[in-house]
Amino acid sequence: MQAQTVYGALHGLQTLSQLCQFNFSSRVIEILMTPWIINDQPRFSFRGLLIDTSRHYQPLPIIKNVIDSMAYAKLNVLHWHIVDTQSFPLEIPSYPKLWDGAYSTSERYTMADAAEIVSYAQKRGINVLAELDVPGHALSWGKGYPSLWPSKDCQEPLDVSNEFTFKVIDGILSDFSKVFKYKFVHLGGDEVNTSCWTLTPHVSKWLKEHSMNESQAYQYFVLQAQKIALLHGYEIVNWEETFNNFGNKLSPKTVVHNWLGGGVAQRVVAAGLRCIVSNQDKWYLDHLDTTWEQFYMNEPLTNITKSEQQKLVIGGEVCMWGETVDASDIQQTIWPRAAAAAERLWTPYDKLAKEAKQVTGRLAHFRCLLNQRGIAAAPLAADTPLTQPGRSAPLEPGSCYLQ
Amino acid sequence: MWVLGVTERRVMGAFWVLNLVLFLVQVVGIKGAHGIGEHGVRIWPMPLSVSHGHKSLYVGKDFKIMSQGSKYKDASGILKDGFSRFLAVVKGAHVVDGDTSKLDQSRVLQGLNVFISSTKDELQYGIDESYKLLVPSPDKPTYAHLEAQTVYGALHGLQTLSQLCQFNFSSRVIEILMTPWIINDQPRFSFRGLLIDTSRHYQPLPIIKNVIDSMAYAKLNVLHWHIVDTQSFPLEIPSYPKLWDGAYSTSERYTMADAAEIVSYAQKRGINVLAELDVPGHALSWGKGYPSLWPSKDCQEPLDVSNEFTFKVIDGILSDFSKVFKYKFVHLGGDEVNTSCWTLTPHVSKWLKEHSMNESQAYQYFVLQAQKIALLHGYEIVNWEETFNNFGNKLSPKTVVHNWLGGGVAQRVVAAGLRCIVSNQDKWYLDHLDTTWEQFYMNEPLTNITKSEQQKLVIGGEVCMWGETVDASDIQQTIWPRAAAAAERLWTPYDKLAKEAKQVTGRLAHFRCLLNQRGIAAAPLAADTPLTQPGRSAPLEPGSCYLQ
Repeated sequence: MQAQTVYGALHGLQTLSQLCQFNFSSRVIEILMTPWIINDQPRFSFRGLLIDTSRHYQPLPIIKNVIDSMAYAKLNVLHWHIVDTQSFPLEIPSYPKLWDGAYSTSERYTMADAAEIVSYAQKRGINVLAELDVPGHALSWGKGYPSLWPSKDCQEPLDVSNEFTFKVIDGILSDFSKVFKYKFVHLGGDEVNTSCWTLTPHVSKWLKEHSMNESQAYQYFVLQAQKIALLHGYEIVNWEETFNNFGNKLSPKTVVHNWLGGGVAQRVVAAGLRCIVSNQDKWYLDHLDTTWEQFYMNEPLTNITKSEQQKLVIGGEVCMWGETVDASDIQQTIWPRAAAAAERLWTPYDKLAKEAKQVTGRLAHFRCLLNQRGIAAAPLAADTPLTQPGRSAPLEPGSCYLQ
Repeated sequence: MWVLGVTERRVMGAFWVLNLVLFLVQVVGIKGAHGIGEHGVRIWPMPLSVSHGHKSLYVGKDFKIMSQGSKYKDASGILKDGFSRFLAVVKGAHVVDGDTSKLDQSRVLQGLNVFISSTKDELQYGIDESYKLLVPSPDKPTYAHLEAQTVYGALHGLQTLSQLCQFNFSSRVIEILMTPWIINDQPRFSFRGLLIDTSRHYQPLPIIKNVIDSMAYAKLNVLHWHIVDTQSFPLEIPSYPKLWDGAYSTSERYTMADAAEIVSYAQKRGINVLAELDVPGHALSWGKGYPSLWPSKDCQEPLDVSNEFTFKVIDGILSDFSKVFKYKFVHLGGDEVNTSCWTLTPHVSKWLKEHSMNESQAYQYFVLQAQKIALLHGYEIVNWEETFNNFGNKLSPKTVVHNWLGGGVAQRVVAAGLRCIVSNQDKWYLDHLDTTWEQFYMNEPLTNITKSEQQKLVIGGEVCMWGETVDASDIQQTIWPRAAAAAERLWTPYDKLAKEAKQVTGRLAHFRCLLNQRGIAAAPLAADTPLTQPGRSAPLEPGSCYLQ
């Protein structure tokens, strides 16, 4: 085996492991169909899975099990959506009361735990993209620092008029930079409902003083956060609303993370910005009614024909939002549908199946392989009245390969 | 004692009243506060006797196990491996990078002294599983103390100790709160089982091992392996090598070495493996490799009673079993036998006539023949309850009857002088997704059995994870947490069990979260609502593990 980097070699080991099987006669491991000549490299450099540890805490052993399974499918970015409205589980040494927003004292990650996750992932060739979603999705921050809320009765988004808000963001990103070494940091920026800014007197006053309406204040916030992240040496990823609302004001190296639907990636790259594709109609794992076939067929370069624009799509990501996902069901909700997307992101376009059903047998085989490795991947399953495609239990007795 | 002046007496009186109040609060605290938060005993299952204090100790960085006073030599490494696993689970959820050498050394535990009286490491039905755990040791305050008769009792003690440990987010070390702990413990029943079914769905080895790990956390001690059934025959049988042609596919099979690996993995964790060979029903898959075992090509169940070959095969299977499955019991099934293929198939019907048997007598004959074979291989026998219901007085007198159809059966079995395992399906079938954890908890094996000599005949109980809709993706979330509720019913003394299940909600939620922290996909406790069923439910909404 040859590779440029040790991470290429890890991918090669992964492929080799899939060539091996147990021979029930001789009781040894064998490799069939030799000689094998395999040249391989990924189509996209960013092949991600998002996990959400705010809606439900995920214990370290579970996150490690997820990382193991990502490596089996050659995914290479763990997008860690660490905090959100419901809970703030991560230790932030610069602002130690932030994790008072955790669900409970034990449902927390120390900085050492975060470093452990980064290290565990790195050994498997997986980068960790940390997300600090601002200014929305941040209610939990105020548990430890109530002045971050516009008011006690109006707790989202983060108070744009308060300098302390940006001090805290700076402190968090400073602490991040000691542990999260991936070139990018994700600053969120999605689903921002600014009414608490206009309804709260001191914030509304600040907006007037700065001649901003709500929309301009949102832009201001995002760009301020971007400046802080840039000072910490990061390149930035933002959710697409930032582009949709003020794309030409974003830092020019911003990577726009598409999630709302199709048709966005083409506009992003036409504007000269990079894009990560996660359109929710096809690549949201918490949408239990999306089939593995839909995951497989979701083409990131749809309607993007110019080669220089195609290059701006750095890859894509499937998103395992955590509202109904905890340690009991995370893996069966991720797999096998994430594997379908993993092939879309790895395999060259002309080697992908033109119809998803052509790969049914091979995906079923991969799903059974995951099971054999202790990964609770769900059956491929049909979309029937009794089951949904995501997280379905097997309907009846049968072989793994046929379910 | 000096003579007290008036003022001093009043102060002393207040002092004693205060102490009395504190004492009562402590007593009430131990019994009442089983919720989440920092107070209350959170061990699952609840030990026979527990007392604790209000101090705390740290677990030292180099916490080690010492067994100089022990008679047990641990040649097979069971204790050493158990201690490694103890350290791994205690340190698994967070990076323990605090420096205990900077703490007050009088509060740092350096190690665990273990005293095991028996030199033997044989795991078998009825061994002594008791232990005594003192934290700290009364004569060595920087050590904890664990005593047991057998190494398996010691493993239970390590399990309990692991549940006393928690990560301290300030000091970044492991600590034990509420010391001193004085725990005396032993199980109420000797047979505390979980059935898994690898015929309806093949379960890969890593998954079975994960199940075994989780059983040990709840102190269950019998893995009832329902290996083969109608749908598939996944196990290698060297005596009859075509039997596993009945597997779903060539890779969905277990070699004898795989089976031995499971037995060994379980044994190291104090878990016995009860192998089941269900006959004569539930055996259609046998005919894939040996079609002459079927009454006919068109009528494939039960196994052909008229064919001597049938009993040769059973003999071969049990012979191969005996080389790997060393538990005193073997399970011979005998449930749900639909004999119509015997009467409908000419050569079988002829045989029945020749032997003056009707269907029912043939069923009895079959079961008793199988029993004889198993006895010759040195096993004691477990059979499903239909055998008792139909011909109880003909069963081998040491047969253990496995109750599954419903309540009221155990009492009849023990009244007839036979032993019983309780698994009544209305309460202890895990594949019944509508059965709540409360129902699992409240299912009392000795219901209506009052005479002490009859109570002794109930050797224990078992929750059953039938495999029709359970594969590697959902087995653990269907087993847990409901199996834990039954595990306490089978371990904890009757008078220490909660009288109402809801009293243990907080403690069970805590145990469920502990399982998650150990990589076991235990489901939320969840309510029975229109949106969810109690078994295998996903969390409905964001929230803390402890509240779901």
